Amino acid sequence: MRSAYNHFRLGLTPQRILAFLFLIVLGYLVIVPLFLMVRETFIVHPLERFQIPGSRVGEWTTAHWKRNFLSENAYAFFYRPLINTLKIALGFSMLALVIGGTLAWLVVRTDLPLKGLISNAAIIPYIMPSWTLALAWITIFKNERIGGDQGIFTALTGIVTPDWFAYGLFPITVTLALHYFPFGFMLIGGALRNIDAQLEESAELLGASRPTILRRIVIPLVLPAIFSTFLLTFSRGLGTFGTPAFLGGPVREFVLSTSLYANLIGQRPGIGYLAAVAMITLGVLVLYMDYKIIGTRRSFVTISGKGARAGVLGLGRWRWPIASLVLAFIVAVIAVPLIALTVDTVMLRPGIYSWDNFTWHYWIGDASLTVGLGTGEPGILRNPQLMSALANTMKLAVVVALITGIIGILVGYAIVRMRGSWVAQALDQMSFLPYLMPSIALGAIFLAMFAVPRGPIPSLHGTFWLLVIVCTVSYLPYAVKAGISAMRQIGPELEEAAVMLGASWWTRMRCILIPVQKSTYFSGMLLPFISVTRELSLLILLVTPATQLATTITLRYTDRGWYPYTNGMVLLLVVIVVISTVVSRRLMGTSIAKGLGG
Amino acid sequence: MPAIVLDRVSRIYGKEVRAVSDLTLEIPDGSFTTLLGPSGCGKTTTLRMIAGLDMPTMGTIRIGDKLAFSIEEGQNLAPAKRGLGLVFQSYALWPHLTVAQNISFGLEVQKVGKAEAAQRLDQVATALQIDGLLGRYTSELSGGQQQRVAIARVLVMQPSVLLLDEPLSNLDATLRMDMRAELKRLHFETGATIIYVTHDQLEALTMSTHIALMQGGKLQQFAPPLDVYSHPANKFAADFLGNPRINLLEGKIENGLIRCDGLDVALPSDIAAAANSAVTLGLRAEEIRLHNEPKSGFAPARVTAVLPTGSDWYYHVQMNGQTLTVRQSGGPQLQLGDEVHVEATPDPIKLFAADGQALAMAPGPVLP
Repeated sequence: MRSAYNHFRLGLTPQRILAFLFLIVLGYLVIVPLFLMVRETFIVHPLERFQIPGSRVGEWTTAHWKRNFLSENAYAFFYRPLINTLKIALGFSMLALVIGGTLAWLVVRTDLPLKGLISNAAIIPYIMPSWTLALAWITIFKNERIGGDQGIFTALTGIVTPDWFAYGLFPITVTLALHYFPFGFMLIGGALRNIDAQLEESAELLGASRPTILRRIVIPLVLPAIFSTFLLTFSRGLGTFGTPAFLGGPVREFVLSTSLYANLIGQRPGIGYLAAVAMITLGVLVLYMDYKIIGTRRSFVTISGKGARAGVLGLGRWRWPIASLVLAFIVAVIAVPLIALTVDTVMLRPGIYSWDNFTWHYWIGDASLTVGLGTGEPGILRNPQLMSALANTMKLAVVVALITGIIGILVGYAIVRMRGSWVAQALDQMSFLPYLMPSIALGAIFLAMFAVPRGPIPSLHGTFWLLVIVCTVSYLPYAVKAGISAMRQIGPELEEAAVMLGASWWTRMRCILIPVQKSTYFSGMLLPFISVTRELSLLILLVTPATQLATTITLRYTDRGWYPYTNGMVLLLVVIVVISTVVSRRLMGTSIAKGLGG
Repeated sequence: MPAIVLDRVSRIYGKEVRAVSDLTLEIPDGSFTTLLGPSGCGKTTTLRMIAGLDMPTMGTIRIGDKLAFSIEEGQNLAPAKRGLGLVFQSYALWPHLTVAQNISFGLEVQKVGKAEAAQRLDQVATALQIDGLLGRYTSELSGGQQQRVAIARVLVMQPSVLLLDEPLSNLDATLRMDMRAELKRLHFETGATIIYVTHDQLEALTMSTHIALMQGGKLQQFAPPLDVYSHPANKFAADFLGNPRINLLEGKIENGLIRCDGLDVALPSDIAAAANSAVTLGLRAEEIRLHNEPKSGFAPARVTAVLPTGSDWYYHVQMNGQTLTVRQSGGPQLQLGDEVHVEATPDPIKLFAADGQALAMAPGPVLP
């Protein structure tokens, strides 16, 4: 008995204490919310008691489920948004894969000129807010029938865009593909780069032709990366909110995320939570497929090898034509949208693109009741609401990056040091769970979870810290992955050598473990920073007027049709994100691809 | 500083895996003791338990007059309080620090005064001939230099016991020879107790004052190297030490003779072996002579390989379907295919019972 107690007491190493601590915290923040959310689909909410005859608030009911799946409105509530979601996710993932994969192949395996420029530029669409392209699409292609004013395209050519082209599923699919193709570019590019040239050379020595080598060696080797890219973009697409909200809203075309939002802030929270459950179920199914087909979880970065770089394919006389095509594509995806957004912010009356319509009003104008859109709104840079929202965003981004960075280090440390134990496995799996949850569904869960006090934890609704918690949980998979890979590269002896010299755990962390892998940790923090800066889906349900963010406030301006304000804010965010990425790369040698685990 | 004592120490992983099993060992003060054995024998686990980096499942460890570990007493002394220095197999030098910073880290942690720290750094750097490298990063050093820095980082703390975990395994052959001599000099100059882990029996034989031979988590023999070589406690010890490997011949006790398929050796009177019992005779390569003429007790054989090394000739001879390795320093040179007659000249005789334990009386302490 006594010796059992001594065993326990003497075995209390820092990694064990940390592991158990995080097991409890993550259990509360990851597992409990899942149950709560399912519970919400069986409960009568205040606004629903009139819709369900004879019910009282807080009672158990199956009415939401019946209505969502079986009633005559089920198609509008659920099935149509579900089908739209699947169509969009499938379509844009394929498209993103084709674009990203082709670019990756061109850059890694051919003698394409300007490789450095192309690789750097190809990542920019990903670091811009995902709905930047949606806003640009509207600015360029909107038509008078629905948008009220004509877009730049109509103004220049006189051609009125048809509705299906200007709004709805088609532009949503295209703009999401253009946002997510850098995933494919980075992950497939990484896989192609890591193929040991010897693997191909041995096939060549055995007499295999180039097409045979491509078919039998190269493609099977990058197949996990291709498949994982597809699943990654697919599952991100399930939860994305901004793009379908901006492009689907005008024609009332819903996907699961926008339907969830409409129901949850509207009068049918039960139906909204059901959409969240459906999205998470889809997310789990996607991961299960990944697991079944590829065999191992998170296999999208596992191909590694040493040895010489594989030979490159000469493009011959096609070299420059292809390079021009690639450059034209990149300009079309990056420069054109940004220019369109910029132009829109300096046109006083929308839809009229001429010099005498030029104005700085939307940037630095006074609050005016007569000039331009946005009655009584000062220009962006003088607008206290917008500037405080921007300040909130920056504060949130910094705090979340720091917290996820620290948690990533600590959890990574606990997992790596306790490798093989059930605790390490449980921690690993738990920190991976948020990855499966579409972000707007995660927001919905935390809305349910923290709306009321629970035990010792007060209601956090409307506080800054609720935003911090939800962002931390959402980016936990990336942070922990970065932490684990950093810790794996530090052999345990490096720490044990310090133990032998009498360094405390804190000294070891401060002087050895953190400095050794500085750049990896900073890469791990850069991704949450950028993500928070442009996050909309995750936070749209959780912000209140007091915690308004740069992204969420733009949605309100869009709702009122005040696009110059929306577009100006998006431009500010793009500038901030691009500058911070470049600065941190210069200072710390960080890279987005590293943070992604690519 | 008295000895390091391990008393019935076991380390069990999970429920089944016994990395170290019931190990009792007293390492004399000032000795150069080698923990020797094949990989997975528990030698590194033993070292780590002495260092305090791994916790025994049961047993007691004393280092000098300090109780380092005891479950019953609830005692697990922190590694730094045990007065030991450990040099890791991988050296474990911190890549983000310079050589000087690596060596001074422990002094800083222990809050040694600046002047004294500088003086100790200087002293140890001079002794290990790395004083010209202090400003470099460890990635800019050769393997041998890294090794010296790793040792300096430990020596600067002036430990009374130095633990070395396979420190030479990452060096090339020439450097390894040099470092062996250097480690022996270090042992002599510091007077510290050295516990040295290796799987290389030649290193163990050339460097140690004591060898603790381990296999399967159990101690096989603890004795000075030449005693282990000449009086192996069991068949495993006989087989593991010595290069080339010992020749083991199955035989039988008959009429005061050890008879191995025609090869006979007289059974010494101080060995108690029952008549007709099955035994194994161990013959080192230098304990076999080859003759051209037959004689009673000799066994016929054929030369199957001739391997000259310059100073010696090694022969493989085929005798009754078994290949024996023979070393000859001089004598007539033999050719491949020559018919020879084998004489066994064991000194001392190494005889093992059916259970593998030695039948001869060894002078050193023999543990089960």
